[in-house]
Amino acid sequence: MSLKSVLAVALGILSAIGGFVDIGDLVFNTQAGAVFGFQLLWVVVIGVVGIVVYSEMCGRVSAVAGRPVFDLVRERVGFGPGLATLLAAEFVNLLTCAAEIGGAAICLQLLSGLSYRLLIPLAVIGLVVCSWVLPFEWIERVFGYLGLCLLVFAVAAIKLHPSWGQVARGFIPGSHTGGGLTLYLYFVVGLLGAALTPYEVYFYSSGAVEDSWGLKELGLNKVTAMIGYGLGGFLSMALMIVAGVLFLHRGISPQFLGTPPLAVEHVLSQVGLVLALIGILFAVGGAAIETSFSGAYNLAQFFGWQWGKRERPAGASRFTLSWVAIFAVAFLVVLTGYDPVKLTEYSVIFSVVALPLTYLPILLVANDRAYMGTRVNGRLANVFGVIYLVILLAVAAGAIPLLLITHGGQG
Amino acid sequence: MSDPVDLDIGLGILDHQLVDGDGRNCGKVDDLELSSLDSDSPEVVAILVGGNAWRSRGILGRLLARLAGDAVHVPWGEVDSVTSVVRLKRPAAELRLNRGDARWASVIRRVPGS
Repeated sequence: MSLKSVLAVALGILSAIGGFVDIGDLVFNTQAGAVFGFQLLWVVVIGVVGIVVYSEMCGRVSAVAGRPVFDLVRERVGFGPGLATLLAAEFVNLLTCAAEIGGAAICLQLLSGLSYRLLIPLAVIGLVVCSWVLPFEWIERVFGYLGLCLLVFAVAAIKLHPSWGQVARGFIPGSHTGGGLTLYLYFVVGLLGAALTPYEVYFYSSGAVEDSWGLKELGLNKVTAMIGYGLGGFLSMALMIVAGVLFLHRGISPQFLGTPPLAVEHVLSQVGLVLALIGILFAVGGAAIETSFSGAYNLAQFFGWQWGKRERPAGASRFTLSWVAIFAVAFLVVLTGYDPVKLTEYSVIFSVVALPLTYLPILLVANDRAYMGTRVNGRLANVFGVIYLVILLAVAAGAIPLLLITHGGQG
Repeated sequence: MSDPVDLDIGLGILDHQLVDGDGRNCGKVDDLELSSLDSDSPEVVAILVGGNAWRSRGILGRLLARLAGDAVHVPWGEVDSVTSVVRLKRPAAELRLNRGDARWASVIRRVPGS
């Protein structure tokens, strides 16, 4: 491997780590930590392994067959069920995009002191201009690298000197204290949903086509998915540990997005606070772009339009119009003043329902020699793939009832 | 394609990507027009793209077809090859495909940096 390709892999990993956390992880990991301490860390591991397995799979399908997720959905499940999946995916993308925009506006508010209402349009304009002007790799990298500021949460988690014995026990599922069973299960579903959000695989697989991945990139795919997303998972755990140490025994419920960064300030002073806010700003800003693009990728791939950022905006005009429209509608949703934390909870729980329909076609095509030749799934990928599909079906069935029973995690 | 080929229509053609002579995406195989269904070897006469071609594709398809216009008929003779995508011989515009993109492109071109 040449120095240049090592560098390319390293940079890819860094942007995958920085891009891993989004508003869903922020909200669910800190709330779970505040209510249950470290007891739900095991769920983060299950979620992270799941996203690694399916990202690797759909990255491989993109590299070998050049086919992104919604191409496959349409080909394998047909028009009717495919359209239903598309509608569910677009609804969730839109809701998630709105939540991320709201999160970005809150960060800007905490950084600048200006009014939230004023900063919503500013955030949207900034994101649309970035998406319009910057080439694809730049969008991926700029937001991914600056999202790495979130590492201050890992530093804070260590500096808080948690009881590592208790942290270790959190990786073993079992009995729990601190809240009722339904609330515990609600957080299990939410944490899985936050780690396995469908837009991540839409974006990852279409991004692989955007970056013109071929057989040469199969190694890069494996490393990015395993190491990049794997290490990204540590950031999720750090969020839960910080919340578990600082919020659990004080009875603080992080219902406001500004609460987690304040935890960092508590440990690392003002510099830590600013870094945490910049990290969150770019993590959720990047995720807002990813969700709007995912929505446009899905539409274009379902209906067979020309798509991609490699094209000038006018060269793939319906695709361009789609992502601009998603930003516009998401902007209107945020403008209603609905709490971004609540929006996030709904978007994550609803996304769980759409997950099996997204992952099944990937699993089918990754096993189809007509598409994949000799690069079909190995036994390990299939065992994990099937186990996760079963988990997701169970979780999808429980998601909405748990949302209703727990009043959205209020207990 | 001039020579007849045997294909599993359900899995091998329907819902697959159409790519035009310039290598650009230009819709999906939304439905197929077949000849002499009662004979032993029915043949595909045309590919139907968009609009009311969705009519035969379930409840959601019927609803969507009502909102859309007429389907575009692409004669089977225009097909260059069938792999995991269906490749056509000529550019999309000559086959009346991708008109949606063409319409919106003129709007988007007015924005700087497009």
